Amino acid sequence: MITVGLDIGTQSVKAIVLNDDDKILARAQTFSGFDPAKAIQDVIEQTLKTAGITQADINAFAVTGSSVELAPSNATTVSMMSADAKTATTLFSKVQTIIDVGAEEARAVKCDERGIMTDFVVNERCAAGAGTFIEAMARALEIKMEDMGTLSIKAERASSINASCVIFGESDVVSLIHKQEPKHEIARAVYDAMADRVSSMVHRLGINPEIVLLGGVAKDIGFVTSLKRKLGVDILIPEFPEYAGALGAALIVAAKERVR
Amino acid sequence: MKNNNNIEPKIMPETNPKEINELKNTFRVASENIIAQTIERMKKTTPNRPKEMEYFDEIANLFGKRTKELDQAKAEGKKIVGYTCLFAPLELILAAGAIPVRINSGWYDTSKLGDRVVPVEVCPIIRSTIGAKMIEFSPFIEQSDAIIAVLTCDGMTKLSEILGDYKQILAMSTPRVKDSPQSLKFWTAEIKQIKDNLEKLTGNKITSKTLKAAILKTQRATRAFRRLQNLRKDNSVIFGRDAMLVNQAYMWDDIDRWTEKTDALCDELERRVQSKKWVCPSDTPRVMLTGTPIFWPDNWKLPSLIEEGTPQGVLVADELCSSERLLYDPVGIDEWTMDDMFNAIGERYLMASTCPCFTSKDGNEDRINWVLNKVKENHVQGVIYCVVRGCMLYAMEHTKLKRALDKVKIPVYYLDTDYTREDAGQLKTRIEAFLEMLNAQIDL
Repeated sequence: MITVGLDIGTQSVKAIVLNDDDKILARAQTFSGFDPAKAIQDVIEQTLKTAGITQADINAFAVTGSSVELAPSNATTVSMMSADAKTATTLFSKVQTIIDVGAEEARAVKCDERGIMTDFVVNERCAAGAGTFIEAMARALEIKMEDMGTLSIKAERASSINASCVIFGESDVVSLIHKQEPKHEIARAVYDAMADRVSSMVHRLGINPEIVLLGGVAKDIGFVTSLKRKLGVDILIPEFPEYAGALGAALIVAAKERVR
Repeated sequence: MKNNNNIEPKIMPETNPKEINELKNTFRVASENIIAQTIERMKKTTPNRPKEMEYFDEIANLFGKRTKELDQAKAEGKKIVGYTCLFAPLELILAAGAIPVRINSGWYDTSKLGDRVVPVEVCPIIRSTIGAKMIEFSPFIEQSDAIIAVLTCDGMTKLSEILGDYKQILAMSTPRVKDSPQSLKFWTAEIKQIKDNLEKLTGNKITSKTLKAAILKTQRATRAFRRLQNLRKDNSVIFGRDAMLVNQAYMWDDIDRWTEKTDALCDELERRVQSKKWVCPSDTPRVMLTGTPIFWPDNWKLPSLIEEGTPQGVLVADELCSSERLLYDPVGIDEWTMDDMFNAIGERYLMASTCPCFTSKDGNEDRINWVLNKVKENHVQGVIYCVVRGCMLYAMEHTKLKRALDKVKIPVYYLDTDYTREDAGQLKTRIEAFLEMLNAQIDL
């Protein structure tokens, strides 16, 4: 049985193909851009090609993400929170707290011992705790976003900025630049501010010792370092955290299909 | 420049009559469309919707039948008394021969106009009511001869000053500690003060005879109301958004007719219970709403998202001052003396309230118990705690209520929203995830 999992996010579209043993045959991602419908088609075609199969081989189709309405009509919708929970509890058996930080949204999900979601929190209509924040701050610092993480971990201390809003955060960064504070300390401040927002969401759910971090921002060493420091516990990160949504959705739908 | 009520505005800015007229017309068309569409969707998404809902669909048109009736009543010399919070003693308004109508606004469009007077951080219910007044949009505010402004939360308190630019305000101050003897004394004095003011406004004396008749009237309404809520306890014979519309119509409808129509609806629902005719499958997650009041028509966004989505939920109870709290408690009378009636009214409006503007020696424990009780009685499986931006009191009580519900293993989702249509997509995702979670727990 072949299952395709699709995650249509605000910034990029991710697809994953699973075989009958839930092993990943292929994965791909692309920017959603101005023509998300085409982006969706592209990633699906790309994964099918890599997996060496065709549309006709697909037995089940799962979709998650913030724009599920753009998905093909034969796809089964799975919420982002359920998908996160499924991925985390499948990859790491004992996990009960899951954090997912994407481009525009950060969320925390809590599961019971059986891997059933029992609670979740989403950053409330604000991108200050999410990936876009890093992007905007890197722009203000005139550095590449990919370099910001490695730069920040060189800092012994952090400057102080406001993380209640991307726009105000940016003006804080600009005034720190004018004060000639070192770039790496400002970079660390950006991550610390994000980690503050995210950790207060986690605290609202209650902290468990094993925490998994998912989403594209989990690949940013600067954020991960700040979040570990803030939460005071180690954080588990899967190999491809940005595919967590697509994978979780595919796993859930594949399991349902088998029951049928 | 004095306005049409011959009061000089102290707070409201001067407005351009041409712009006001244009806005009023545009918003009016938009609102009538939204009302019609919302009702149409409620009909379409409910298999065999109760036939008796037709009456409430009609009365839901805020610019329709009821508005015309109130115009007629005014022409015949009756006074209309608007009110902001459910602490306004309706029995006294009725006993003075006036007609009560609640004036809180559920319009999104007018909240943007409110931003010209107060900052966007202010609760949108307040901003929207201000905006509605600014362009004379709300028939009920315009028709009011006076407004009983109950000084509950900060928003309502300052709203009364702003509305005072246009209308005679009869302010009622609520005590903050609910369960002390001096509070009840203070509140009873407020009720007496309102009685005097209502008599002055209407020129009618409130007698033991008229007051008794008014109390009997609201008691009958409470009986019909309770009948409806009892019918929602077990299998779902009506959707929550329909029941909420019935409850909310009480805020502006003629009370006797409302009672009669609600009883007729209950008769129909009882027949449906006997023939086991439900509006959704028995395994649909049973949800309760609590938090900031939800006002018709635009903020029906929330109940609609819950009951019209995939997965679908069913609202089986709420703890909203715009719905189930309106009529939950009757005025309990031992003897029909004037003193006893006043004390009973005082107690009914103060002691029974679960509004977060109060505290008591155990905090607002009454609200928590109310919710826990409903959860048990109505077999609630999950609670959605809705808060609009700027609604500090409800936002702050969330943590305590969540703790209490955690103990009985009932999931709670804190949903924060505003008077805007743009967040419907985000809200949909969150509500669906919550319902998906409830489904997963039910399946086990």
